Amino acid sequence: MIQSTAMPRLGGAARREAKRTSRAAVQPARPWLHTRASGLALILALLVLWEASARLGWVQSQSWPPFSAVLAAAWRGFTDGELSLPLLSSLGRMLAGYAIGCSLGVAVGLLLGGNRWIRYLVLPVLEVIRPIPIPAIVPPLILFLGIDDALKIFVVALASFVPALINTMAGVLGVDDVLLQTARTFRTGWTRTMLRVVLPATLPAIASGLRVAIGLALVVTIVAEMIAGSAGLGYYIVQMQYALRPDAMYAAVLCLALTGYTLNRLFLLGEARLIPWMGRG
Amino acid sequence: MLNRRSLLQTGAALAVAGTARAAELERVRVSIIPINDVTPLFVAIKQGFFEQEGLMVDTSPSSGGATGIPGLVAGSYDIAYGNVVSTMLAAQQGIELRVVAPGTKIQEAKNDHSALVVRRDSGIRSGQDLEGKVVGVNTRNNVIWLYARAWIKATGGNPDRVTYKEVPHPQMEDAIRQKQADAGYMVVPYVTLATAKPEFEKIAHPYSAVQLGVDVGQYLATAAFLQAKPETVAKFARALRRGITWYNANLTNPDLLPVISGFTKIEVPLLQTLTLAPSPLAVEPAQMEKTMQLMIEHRLLRGPVDVKPLIGPTAV
Repeated sequence: MIQSTAMPRLGGAARREAKRTSRAAVQPARPWLHTRASGLALILALLVLWEASARLGWVQSQSWPPFSAVLAAAWRGFTDGELSLPLLSSLGRMLAGYAIGCSLGVAVGLLLGGNRWIRYLVLPVLEVIRPIPIPAIVPPLILFLGIDDALKIFVVALASFVPALINTMAGVLGVDDVLLQTARTFRTGWTRTMLRVVLPATLPAIASGLRVAIGLALVVTIVAEMIAGSAGLGYYIVQMQYALRPDAMYAAVLCLALTGYTLNRLFLLGEARLIPWMGRG
Repeated sequence: MLNRRSLLQTGAALAVAGTARAAELERVRVSIIPINDVTPLFVAIKQGFFEQEGLMVDTSPSSGGATGIPGLVAGSYDIAYGNVVSTMLAAQQGIELRVVAPGTKIQEAKNDHSALVVRRDSGIRSGQDLEGKVVGVNTRNNVIWLYARAWIKATGGNPDRVTYKEVPHPQMEDAIRQKQADAGYMVVPYVTLATAKPEFEKIAHPYSAVQLGVDVGQYLATAAFLQAKPETVAKFARALRRGITWYNANLTNPDLLPVISGFTKIEVPLLQTLTLAPSPLAVEPAQMEKTMQLMIEHRLLRGPVDVKPLIGPTAV
């Protein structure tokens, strides 16, 4: 098993290397604007604009600190724990809800993809639940789940459940018929077909569902914390807004942006390692 | 002689006493809004008044304040700080709440620091001037909105011809400056900061202008909690009253500022610019009835609510 996954990875790396060298040969000196550096430069330019707009008084507002003050607040927040502790508590709630929602979503998705009757039964309910914006259900849910972790973990699980389920189901339904027929020709049993044929063929779809879910999970965690309760980064942002400390508020927002980016990167890395056939026909 | 063994024994005895003491304390979960109004509660915690009554108060801030009553009903909190309008609205919806302790009251006009703020060059002076204009309020259909409307009516304007826009308190100043709102009903500390700038001015203090003595906020519990644990509620109210008394006697005491900074997270130098208003020791049912009449007049309530049974014995 380990060997079989390691082999294509090597192959992929070699192919990428070959592509890179061939591209370099065709176009030896690309202007920097056409490279990834341009994206970074745009971010830097926007940050300089932010700094200037606050320092030079282009934007007159109590709530618009220069970017350097935000960085300073982020540094303070991380050294004294005022920012890092809420971040960790948010991440904890998020991962708990995400794990619950995704495992259920994948399990139900496999079931729905594999059985038409269950699909007919469950899909309408799902289609009704799916478009409900999570912030809209937080206040009524307080009555049932209270205001603490249970509420937040539940809404994060719900938000992660739907994309995990939909993608898994679509993945199962999209499994190449030739694969299934081949398995049938060899008289492979149902369990073995599911585990050795359907699941590997569905994994890329599952993974993309889980990646959509992780972005949603972070957003929903923060929104739920902003609406209810008094813990986590979402609450911290609102608290700093009311405490007239916009630098600390933006530091938390910045911290969220970096967290979202990091989570996505980590996910892509894991994906490339664990599902090397991802993104290939 | 003090040797190691006796030291250890003393330590062990103290540790046992400590846990026994913590175990004796009854935990009360209180939902608060991180504004100056709840300072006496934190004074009572810091001075040990709750502990002396055998209570351990756990505060849980909710910035919007919208989750206090739902949290009470769900059992997440035992007691919640809320405003009089929310209490009446809940009562009309059949939610059985009881006022268990006083919170905020505008007893004297000089202590009414919340104000309607406009741009100095706007020329707005009265409710009549506000017709066709936009007034910023933190939440529509709530206490600030109600008294803004009542003031507009009292000064010759038709409150239905004014647009009310929801703007969070900290952003009110920006909204008025950028002309997204012509006036804003602001509270401490935001009003103090805004009106320190020459471009803004206060034109009115709606609470005291409309209803001097108004009971703006109170501590609430569900009727079921009050019935099940009347002793706990009585202890809470008693300790809180000691906190209020201490607070009222120490309004200019610099020791107060770190206490306020602790739960609002507002930095001490900023707090030094504020004037603190005294807290009430009792709720006045007659004032709550006046608020109820205003709510009917401004169509927040369909009909009268019986105020007397809403007020628990510990609040008066």
